[in-house]
Amino acid sequence: MPTYAALIYTPDVDWSQADQAAMMAEYGAFGEAASAVIRGGAALYPTATATTVRVQGGKGGDPIITDGPYAETKEALTGFYLLECDDLDAAVALAQQIPAAWDGAVEVRPIIPMD
Amino acid sequence: MSATPGDALSAVIRSEYPRILATLIRVTGDVDLAEDALQDAVVRALQAWPRDGLPDSAKAWLTTTARHCAIDRLRREAVRTGKEAAAMSLLDADEPEPPETVVRDDLLRLVFICCHPSLAPQTQVALSLRTLAGLTTPEVARALLVPEATMAKRLTRAKQKIAHAQIPYRVPSDDELPDRLPAVVATVYLIFNEGYASAGAEPIRVGLVVEAIRLGRLLRSLMPDEASVAGLLALMLLQDSRREARVAADGALVVLAEQDRTQWDREQIDEGVVLVGSALARSPGRPDPYVVQAAIAACHALATRYEDTDWGAVVSWYDVLLTVTDTPVVRLNRAAALAELVGPAASLAEVDQIVGLEQYPWWHAARGELLLRLGRFDDASDAADRASALGLSEPHLARLRRRVADRA
Repeated sequence: MPTYAALIYTPDVDWSQADQAAMMAEYGAFGEAASAVIRGGAALYPTATATTVRVQGGKGGDPIITDGPYAETKEALTGFYLLECDDLDAAVALAQQIPAAWDGAVEVRPIIPMD
Repeated sequence: MSATPGDALSAVIRSEYPRILATLIRVTGDVDLAEDALQDAVVRALQAWPRDGLPDSAKAWLTTTARHCAIDRLRREAVRTGKEAAAMSLLDADEPEPPETVVRDDLLRLVFICCHPSLAPQTQVALSLRTLAGLTTPEVARALLVPEATMAKRLTRAKQKIAHAQIPYRVPSDDELPDRLPAVVATVYLIFNEGYASAGAEPIRVGLVVEAIRLGRLLRSLMPDEASVAGLLALMLLQDSRREARVAADGALVVLAEQDRTQWDREQIDEGVVLVGSALARSPGRPDPYVVQAAIAACHALATRYEDTDWGAVVSWYDVLLTVTDTPVVRLNRAAALAELVGPAASLAEVDQIVGLEQYPWWHAARGELLLRLGRFDDASDAADRASALGLSEPHLARLRRRVADRA
């Protein structure tokens, strides 16, 4: 069965803070309801904690370390799930249950199988 | 049966392409492989048929040969990648020509995969023309006025998405159908409109119109009970029935009021009107937008002269249409019909009240027409310039400009 990454784009919030407790409870409810198909996932600290790494001039070249996310956008990548579903229709139906779907957007991407 | 093997091959490709392809996609589970294999089979037919004579069933010959070509391709691939299971399972699946019900489901699956909501509308259009209408990639590119390389890339990406994201190859269940059918109908109508209201230099691109009607007939044969499918086919037949009368000898578009109605295609009108009737009978609850638009087209088709048009009925149908699709464009069309019912001044007042069409060239063209009728020639000329600047092609504006110049 194919696996999909459900990339969660929402306002750049700190899920670990108390003011996000209600939202985290909603994610918890989704996680329980979809536990049979969730193969992994994580909530991310806000983009203020991000460090972006580039190496200039090819492998082994000069590292350029910058403070902040790769792309500054209104909504940020704040988490993801890995979902094993029958097909894209099933994955899209499931993505509609992720709170980010109404609090931002969920991008569903198929994962390349490594065998 | 046609005279030469080449003719016979073109004929069977023309009529049976989507059926053969749909069966091959079910068997191989891969749109790309199915297309390539069918192409291989066509090449083999070009060699074999002149040599051995025509097969009893050209369609069965192509289907079977394409299946073997698919197995050959998978075997070559297997040697390269060490994956043999796929080719072997195809061998097991070797079956006689599938019964008509299976082919019908194969085709329906293909229709719904081409018009899957996860594909962009323009991609759905291209994919439908390629796989359902059986156009080659260069033909699709020409039809949609897109460079061939761009179109090839777009089609490849679409097929990769279908394969990698695993867009399911299945017919939607009855309860999913209301959500999925509108995209299918919209795609075919988009194809029709690309041709009928061409953005290119030619006023009508007949090839696209013909393909859209063929696809409409295909949908109708697959889903005879769906009102919106009947409405779509009726709408296209009725609009296209005016094709001959719609373009003057110099290529300029002729508006409805000035068309020679004896040139209208009576057969298409009769077929369209009957379809509207049966579609109206099938959609008693919520009006279907395609059926209502077809009813409007039927009002025009049934009037012997422009001045005989039942404008009251036309405006009423637009009122019905507004209950299901209240868009600025529908309001604009209603206002245009209102001009015939109550005159240009009241109509212009309505047109000017429509918000959100400042960038829509037809809004300016409609204003130009009404301003002209009100004798405001300079304003009408400005409106025509605006419409032109926003991309409306000159053939669409020729009549307005001529009358502004004549101050008539």
